[in-house]
Amino acid sequence: MEVTNEILNSVEENEQTTSSTPANLPNEQSEIIIEEITRNHKLVHRHRLTKSEICIGRGYQNDIILSDPHICPQHISLNLSQGEWQLNDNGSVNGTSLENSEGKHQHIHQQKINDGDVIVLGKSQLRVLFSDHQVADTIAFSPFESLIDIIRNPIAVLISIVLFMLIAANISYLNQPTETNISQMFVSAFSISLLFALWPAGVALVSHLTKHDPRIFAQFGISFIFFILLWLSERLEKIIAFNSASNSILGLLFTLLPVALAFSLFWLNSYIGFHVSARRRVAIAVSITTLLFGGSYLLQYSKKPEFNPHPQYNAAIMAPHFLIAPSNNVDTFLEQSNRLFEQATQAAKKN
Amino acid sequence: MRTFFTLVFILLSHTAFATEQAEEIFAQLTPSLYQIKLIDKASGEKSSIGSGFQISADGIIATNYHVISSYARHPEKYHIEYLDHQGHTAQVTLVSVDVINDLALVKRKVDADMPFFELSETKPIKGEKLFALGNPHDLGMIVVPGTYNGLKKESFNERIHFTGSINSGMSGGPVVNKLEKVVGINVATSGNQIGFLVPHDKLVSLFERYNKQPPADIKRQMAKQLMASQDKLMKALMSSTWQNKELAGKALIPIIDVPFIRCWGDSNTDKTDALIKAAIASCSLDESTYLSSHFFTGSIEIQFRYMQARNLSDNKFYHLYQQQISRASAGNRASKDDVSEYQCHHDLVRPESTANTDKSINNKSVFCTRAYKDFPGLFDVLYLGASIDKNQQALVSHFTLAGVNQENAMTFTRKFMEAVSWK
Repeated sequence: MEVTNEILNSVEENEQTTSSTPANLPNEQSEIIIEEITRNHKLVHRHRLTKSEICIGRGYQNDIILSDPHICPQHISLNLSQGEWQLNDNGSVNGTSLENSEGKHQHIHQQKINDGDVIVLGKSQLRVLFSDHQVADTIAFSPFESLIDIIRNPIAVLISIVLFMLIAANISYLNQPTETNISQMFVSAFSISLLFALWPAGVALVSHLTKHDPRIFAQFGISFIFFILLWLSERLEKIIAFNSASNSILGLLFTLLPVALAFSLFWLNSYIGFHVSARRRVAIAVSITTLLFGGSYLLQYSKKPEFNPHPQYNAAIMAPHFLIAPSNNVDTFLEQSNRLFEQATQAAKKN
Repeated sequence: MRTFFTLVFILLSHTAFATEQAEEIFAQLTPSLYQIKLIDKASGEKSSIGSGFQISADGIIATNYHVISSYARHPEKYHIEYLDHQGHTAQVTLVSVDVINDLALVKRKVDADMPFFELSETKPIKGEKLFALGNPHDLGMIVVPGTYNGLKKESFNERIHFTGSINSGMSGGPVVNKLEKVVGINVATSGNQIGFLVPHDKLVSLFERYNKQPPADIKRQMAKQLMASQDKLMKALMSSTWQNKELAGKALIPIIDVPFIRCWGDSNTDKTDALIKAAIASCSLDESTYLSSHFFTGSIEIQFRYMQARNLSDNKFYHLYQQQISRASAGNRASKDDVSEYQCHHDLVRPESTANTDKSINNKSVFCTRAYKDFPGLFDVLYLGASIDKNQQALVSHFTLAGVNQENAMTFTRKFMEAVSWK
């Protein structure tokens, strides 16, 4: 939407959160702030006017000129009389409606305007604010900001990506059942990294499209650091599985670690990329985490056969330097295995 | 290679060839020879066929257990019928089984005493000419001449090695000597001209036990036989010598010195590009007990695998090694209706027998078991031990036992675990 502002004494402001409550002045009511906003109530332009009559329309003689083709040349006017602002529709083709702060919508010809009301004319929206409008409390810098400042440093981003590529190369080395080819390894490491880079790139793109600051370096840095942390947690889980016997509570605990890490990643992604309330941010992170882990669980569950003729056991083994737990003797092992017979008998009786 | 037994019913073979002369000789036996059919009640059609022969004047017919196994497992779904040489059909009742020796007795109604096959009192001698009779579908009675070649070596449950074609559909038919006396029952074939028979004395004792006291419940009779058979087998294994044998010069493994457990070896020393050198020794009991087409038991498998890394990091060696041990599976076939799912336990185990010596081995051990649904007290058992104490070498020790009780399973597992070590 093209905006032209030819009003004297008008002040433009772009920062939404920095406007402060002015001191009470005798002529406070003659000062009015009109914000052009999108349908999602995102600020496009802000006008501060100190006139007692304001004309709004498509014509060039207006105080606020809107180029929306559904708006009439002299669409509405706002008048200050006896300390109250009145909205008059000048017989427009498409009419005017007023949406108050409670979200109520009504068509009007002449109406008193309150602080925070939104005027809908044509396909455009204007929010009317008085200079004593209450603004939200100042948000203090969270401790994450300083952390993010470190992470978004290009060198830090580069280090985390390189580290991730090394891990990916190592994984492809381990999985190769034949003689390893260095270039092959790095091609696969590069393609894996490229694949994983889609996530921070996607988040940055969405925040750009929703008129937020994309902060692409921060997104890349934080995402790759968490990918590395996820890999570390998987290693840790395997070391635990290798060192512990069946039914270890520790093992169960460590299966929840990746879920917690994924949640933190999504939370930080949304913290960096979007200005949303804390509750909404948690909701977003929870729903993406649920979608990811719940989805993969559902997929596994749906593939699970009704009867599995093969034994399911934990085969995790690692090189001897990862071995920290002491070994049991045969007696203890057999004693614990003996319990399986009762379990199997119970399972056989079930159906 | 391992001999695979092909059970010879169900398939309706048309390759049987009759020897005309023999047919004339044994023409008088045909009234006592039957085709045994399993009829699916819902569809009214036959679901499997085999042969049978009358062994008493009052209508007892002997056949293979595997011919009527579907009925024994699901009596509500089927009934058993005979078809005689004149084309008469009538229902018979199942009266007794010997599931270990694959025999069954069914009874038909008779109005008067009937002719029947006599069971021999003596064993045949090696090289003696025998005649296998059978009644495959639509071909009528056929006679196959062949030679007695003694009892099959290396078998735990005795089987006669018969050189002659036993064909599909002949299962349960008698094998007679020149005196027209039954010396065996057709049971299996192992390909060209190699047939296997159940020795007649198994039938004699089944028939005697039946005459003394017919079993009240077939399922319970089977459970009792399976329990007794596994006990006999496991006791035989436990009381035999377990020889310590070297594997690839690095490990000591037990080889059970009994003729019915046969061992085979393999290695990949010819493959120069393999990342891991491997030597495998596997031993098994080459027979199993047929319970139904989806349920076998009584088998034993033992396997050892020694692995040595070749230009590999420890981590990669263990990564590939883990892939080797993550898919152990049951040694016998069983379905949802037959067994529970496996229950498993794993732990790090260092057997004390060699602890504190240089033979000492530290294993990740996995033990799994599943219970039989119809035969309480019987289990399939699986053990897997993977050494985790050498950076570049590994020893996998593994066995499966099918259809054993808890006590025997645990005794065997203990002895096995303590018998495996480094050299």
